[in-house]
Amino acid sequence: MKKMHHLQIEPGQIGEFVIMPGDPGRCHLIAEHFENPQLIAQSREYVTYTGKYKGLTVSVTSTGMGCPSAAIALEELIMSGAKYLVRLGTTGALQKNINLGDIIIPTSAVRLEGTSVEYVPIEFPAIADIDIVDALIRATQEKNQKSHIGIIMSHDAFYKGTVFADPDFLKREQVWIDSNILSVENESSALFTIGYLRKVKVGTILTVVANHLTREVITDGGKINPIFHRMTDICLEAFKNMEKE
Amino acid sequence: MDQVQYHTRCKKGEVNKSVLLPGDIERADYIGTKFFRDSEKIVENREFHIYNGSYENKPVAVCSTGIGCMSAAVAIEELTNIGCKYFIRVGICGSLSPQINPGNIIIVTGAVRGDGASKEYVPIKYPAVADYRTITALRNRAKKEGVDYSLGIIRTHDAFYMESPFAFGDYKKRVAIWAEAGVLAIENESSTLFVIGSLRKVPVGSILVAAGNLITGKKGTKDELQKSIDKAITIAAGALVDLQEGKEKKI
Repeated sequence: MKKMHHLQIEPGQIGEFVIMPGDPGRCHLIAEHFENPQLIAQSREYVTYTGKYKGLTVSVTSTGMGCPSAAIALEELIMSGAKYLVRLGTTGALQKNINLGDIIIPTSAVRLEGTSVEYVPIEFPAIADIDIVDALIRATQEKNQKSHIGIIMSHDAFYKGTVFADPDFLKREQVWIDSNILSVENESSALFTIGYLRKVKVGTILTVVANHLTREVITDGGKINPIFHRMTDICLEAFKNMEKE
Repeated sequence: MDQVQYHTRCKKGEVNKSVLLPGDIERADYIGTKFFRDSEKIVENREFHIYNGSYENKPVAVCSTGIGCMSAAVAIEELTNIGCKYFIRVGICGSLSPQINPGNIIIVTGAVRGDGASKEYVPIKYPAVADYRTITALRNRAKKEGVDYSLGIIRTHDAFYMESPFAFGDYKKRVAIWAEAGVLAIENESSTLFVIGSLRKVPVGSILVAAGNLITGKKGTKDELQKSIDKAITIAAGALVDLQEGKEKKI
């Protein structure tokens, strides 16, 4: 079997259940939650591990930053047999009542990025799979964690999409704050769109590391790793619950 | 708002908080008189017929929206103004999927925004997404009723005579792009209802019956369709009851 062009994986090397962080540096941390994790491939911004979780074959593959590389990762994972995929990442809040460290489970995303528009016209909704959303909500509740559930926005230009780099950000994006958008990140809308087109289940779980309105931000790197461990726990339990159904 | 709403002619406290939204005036009359107990017609103005009643001993209401997103937006805005809280559209659609035959039921997760009204509210990049709790409530009730359903994205648009079996020219060519994207069906109200629901923070869902299939040309008989519409109404009214009671959490 031919290896995937970018991910350098082949069918049979990954599980149907895949966690997708943005940062390749987080893959080993997520793989610590697997039994007998194996490094499958390491190519460009894509790092893949496969292992077991309570009898389930699970994998982690990083997407890199932004929808162009995330779309490649998703397409190649699907071609390799993935069926249930959850993006796991960080986000900046756009509402005052959302605190640092809070979990966000998006139901859908505003398509501010350029990738998904190449797939299907802009009026198509970027929607997370409802079974994944349900499973993530339940797993979050089981771990006694609070979550915000709603619409987020995905965009491409990091240094235009943050109040910390661009003072005009809030003014320019006021329409989204007024439209109850919970937070901003860079990959979900293309992942949701492509997931629906390819008939696989895709969802996202995020943790708030900055708030654009209060200008609070988690600067202590030591606080980031526990956030990823917590989300990985939730994600793996959600996979386990989905497998039972 | 205590004032009488401009089009729906009702004011705060006059309409029960859980509302079914059919398009057709006659379907509102049918739901109000055949499905609700102790029902009372409270409004009959333009395309808006509103009934209060009870279903499984819980207060519910029905309001017709008329055809299209313009009048549907007026209905949901004015009902939200007077304190209504839960909304489920129940209607018919044209199937775009070879697997969805006339009479089959669709629970909608989101809608392609082919309409004009929602664009006046928020830029087109914003998703028209159904409320996830309402989706769950509908799925639970469908399961309880033993009814099979399809779950997914539909297309909402404005010009019936561009995308229907009665359309001029090659309507199949016009809808092909959506069929290829896995869009399940075409109808005329859900996207704006979803967008306004998200903006005004009221949960909105949608359950549809395929009246025909735009790809295969299959059509259902009147009796078959009515049976499916009855099922969809039963599921939707039950979901409103569960949402009021917070039962939708039991997935």
